[in-house]
Amino acid sequence: MNTKIFKSREFLLFAFIVLFSVLISFVNPKFLSYENFVDLLKSYTILGIFSLGVLLVLLSGGFDLSFTAIAQVVQYAVVYYFIAWAIDNVYVAIVASLLIGAMLGFVNGFIIYYYRITAIIVTIATNSIYIGFLYVVTNGDLLYDIPYSFSVLSDTKLFTVLNENGAEVGVCLATVLWLLMALGLHFFVSRTVLGRSIVALGGNALSAQRVGFNLRFTTLFIYTFVGSMAGFASLIQVSIFQSVVPNSMVGSELEVIAAVVLGGASVTGGRGTVLGTCLGVLLFAVLSNGMTLMKISPFFYEIFTGIVILISVTVNALQDIQRKRSQVRVQVEE
Amino acid sequence: MEQQKRMPRIIRENQILLIVMVLVFFLMSALNGQRFFALDNIASMAYQLPILGCLAMGMMVAMLSGGINLAIIATANFNGIVIALVLQQIMGPENMAAAPLSVSLLAIAIAFVFSMLVGVINGLFISLLKIPDILVTLGTMTIIAGLNVALTSGYTISGFPKEILALGNGHLFGIPSSLLIFIFGCAVCSLLLNRTQFGSSLYMMGSNPKAARFSNINIVKVSVQQYMLSSFFAVLTSLVMIGQLNSVKASYADSYLLVSILAGFLGNVNPFGGFGKVCGMVISVIILQFISSGLNLMSVDSFMITAMWGMIIVVVVVIKGSWPKIAQVLKEKKTQQG
Repeated sequence: MNTKIFKSREFLLFAFIVLFSVLISFVNPKFLSYENFVDLLKSYTILGIFSLGVLLVLLSGGFDLSFTAIAQVVQYAVVYYFIAWAIDNVYVAIVASLLIGAMLGFVNGFIIYYYRITAIIVTIATNSIYIGFLYVVTNGDLLYDIPYSFSVLSDTKLFTVLNENGAEVGVCLATVLWLLMALGLHFFVSRTVLGRSIVALGGNALSAQRVGFNLRFTTLFIYTFVGSMAGFASLIQVSIFQSVVPNSMVGSELEVIAAVVLGGASVTGGRGTVLGTCLGVLLFAVLSNGMTLMKISPFFYEIFTGIVILISVTVNALQDIQRKRSQVRVQVEE
Repeated sequence: MEQQKRMPRIIRENQILLIVMVLVFFLMSALNGQRFFALDNIASMAYQLPILGCLAMGMMVAMLSGGINLAIIATANFNGIVIALVLQQIMGPENMAAAPLSVSLLAIAIAFVFSMLVGVINGLFISLLKIPDILVTLGTMTIIAGLNVALTSGYTISGFPKEILALGNGHLFGIPSSLLIFIFGCAVCSLLLNRTQFGSSLYMMGSNPKAARFSNINIVKVSVQQYMLSSFFAVLTSLVMIGQLNSVKASYADSYLLVSILAGFLGNVNPFGGFGKVCGMVISVIILQFISSGLNLMSVDSFMITAMWGMIIVVVVVIKGSWPKIAQVLKEKKTQQG
């Protein structure tokens, strides 16, 4: 039992995070303050929410490269119409963004399931369609004057303490929502029939079908879910940045996937945990925040990220090879 | 004799693609009239095609084994940046354009070695550790893109010697040299894939990896060669880009990454590996070029063109998927009438 925990992906990530934190705080003691930790979580909340959706897709053995495009479209549509119709209600906005995101994601799921095309091709195609049309329709114009109530998501602070300047510091509502959703997703994946069917689909689609899981519903659900997660993340993005830029999230999809993979999810499906994903996101957050605090040029951030990705997939692969070897040995003995 | 036998096969294998190409050509001609046929337009299409063409070809090589090379554009930019830096080191930062031929060749050779090294690293990680291609190349892409930014501090480096520029920008017997580079790349690739042991091993690895392993194919060697060939196309892309833009930058051609995968899909390359031919890819790249040039002539927004490329894929997917059903319905009708 004990050795199992130490060998687990989550423990490894946690150890890495602690190691980096200690290193960084030697150079800059500010790193270990509550204020910095809260900021760090806030700036990676968007990536965190994206990653929950992506985890589900990867678990099912699928792939999604269109979620940032979905997020951009949802964000623009919601904010544009909420300004035009002078609706200032964040709850309605949340429902709207979840619904529009779900619709756009459903299109992916529909094509992938009914036409049996690799998810990566379909989502690249829908990615270019969504982004292309978004630019054509909006001319790339930015939106300001965000409805006031949207800032509730990023300005509400929970678990507040006073810092040395007397200002209130606390975890922002969006971060709390992210962590709550992560908890919910954990129970969904491990305790519900639908959740298990997603993992089964990723493990072996044919066996999953024979056992009697409804693969059509599962596939459609997964891509719809990613879409709505993307929609929700985009609302938090606008709440934090207070402006809508049509290309602000384009190109970050690979970073999200990297974070999920770093968290131990396999791209071939069937393996991955919510805790691992959150720790993967956290590791990215610590890295980027730490490099800023250590005054390392931002140019090196990407190189470092790449090295971390390669190291983590290598460790994963080595563990896999080891596991396979031990499996073979068992078979021989029998 | 042999030539006669082979011609129909090329046509037979790419029937649908050829029909699509002709249809697109007529559609674009109908929409643009004379302007589409004009020599200017054909020349400019021939000039523009090689960048996407080379990238798509490099992507195809990776897709033949069921993989993907996300690092290809980063490698292309890296190659260009190494050329620029070597020139700057030897000639001094301001004096790059005055480099003699020997120095230019040296710079190109050094960059070539570095790019091949990237291919070797990709291939080794993928085959030795059995990590999915997409993850390895995601990692190397991030590292190389980061290196590119770090090496150039995010700036554009411009002012290349005219010998290097001629590679992407010149003309030989009235044909754009960039097109010649593309044709050269295709010929090399076609030879390697169809006439060598490497080629048949690669196709076999893609269609049935397990069988390939048991039939004494050196997977490590084939993977390394495969990604070196993929990187080779990145080198060609980089030479063409330097010629056409007279500069290098960390973020050039970023938007082509996904398009080159789409081109592969359109060109009948199976994303799971094992199937895909050079001529299918060439036709698919030509189709994409027809569309983008035609829409450009009609002064359609460039983002609309991006959207159109995506739409085409969806339409192709839907038609391919529904074709058996439609064919069945037609057959039933025929039998009913008969």
